[in-house]
Amino acid sequence: MMNTINLELDARGLNCPLPILRAKKSMSQLDNGQTLKILATDPGSVKDFESFCKQTGNELLQSEENNGEFVFLIKKPD
Amino acid sequence: MNKRMKAPERRASILAVAKVLFADRGYHGVSVDEIAKRLGVSPAVLYQHFDSKEILYESVLNEIGCQRESYVDVVVTGPDDFPSVLARMTMVYADSVIADPDYLRMEMQAMLEGALMAQRFFESRWKSFSDFIEVSLNELAQAGKVNQINPRLASLMFQGMLREVLYAKCIYHSEHYRDLSAKTLLEQLIQQFLITINYQGHS
Repeated sequence: MMNTINLELDARGLNCPLPILRAKKSMSQLDNGQTLKILATDPGSVKDFESFCKQTGNELLQSEENNGEFVFLIKKPD
Repeated sequence: MNKRMKAPERRASILAVAKVLFADRGYHGVSVDEIAKRLGVSPAVLYQHFDSKEILYESVLNEIGCQRESYVDVVVTGPDDFPSVLARMTMVYADSVIADPDYLRMEMQAMLEGALMAQRFFESRWKSFSDFIEVSLNELAQAGKVNQINPRLASLMFQGMLREVLYAKCIYHSEHYRDLSAKTLLEQLIQQFLITINYQGHS
């Protein structure tokens, strides 16, 4: 099933903590149950977003790498 | 010295001893014989794990330079405004360096010796930190919340000031700063930095 993307964040070229800071801000704009898509290039972002979701209670729906670019889908809990 | 040490343990012990000696005297100031002597083994044992002194040195640099502070907690655990995040990042970074001051020496020596691995220190240990300052200052300048400054230079200047504090407290044990804790000095440094860039975020 396709996930509906409600907001997209381009964090390419940024290093931690900037992608996390921006994601936190973007998540605050979402309603419960909505999903944020993040594009990133920092290899450390894989671990960082796992840890971010664990700590904030958001759900990491997807974490994928494609030619050095990372895509994350994070859902705000219902 | 335990001669029956397993290979990974032996490797780790060689790296640990080499790090202390290289940090103290730099690449050219330490010989393989000296490292072996300090470990209580023959140089041949060292060469079983590292083909040359260069490779041993690179391995030490690699280990120390590729560590990466995690700033996720910094973001999650408090307010998002620039001074708050900067203060929390600075403390995470400083705590990490204070726990292993050899990092500072290795970083400086690697840079001054022109070691290829020196780039790792920049990429892993402080690029994310200086990027955060640079990008934030760019945005704050556009919003009129700081002076029109060169964000790149300001960011590098902050790194320089931060290192001065860390060197004073961890390496030189400077008398001038003896009565002030690292935390107090770092808080003062951040205040000074915010005043200098004329941060107006609260208005």
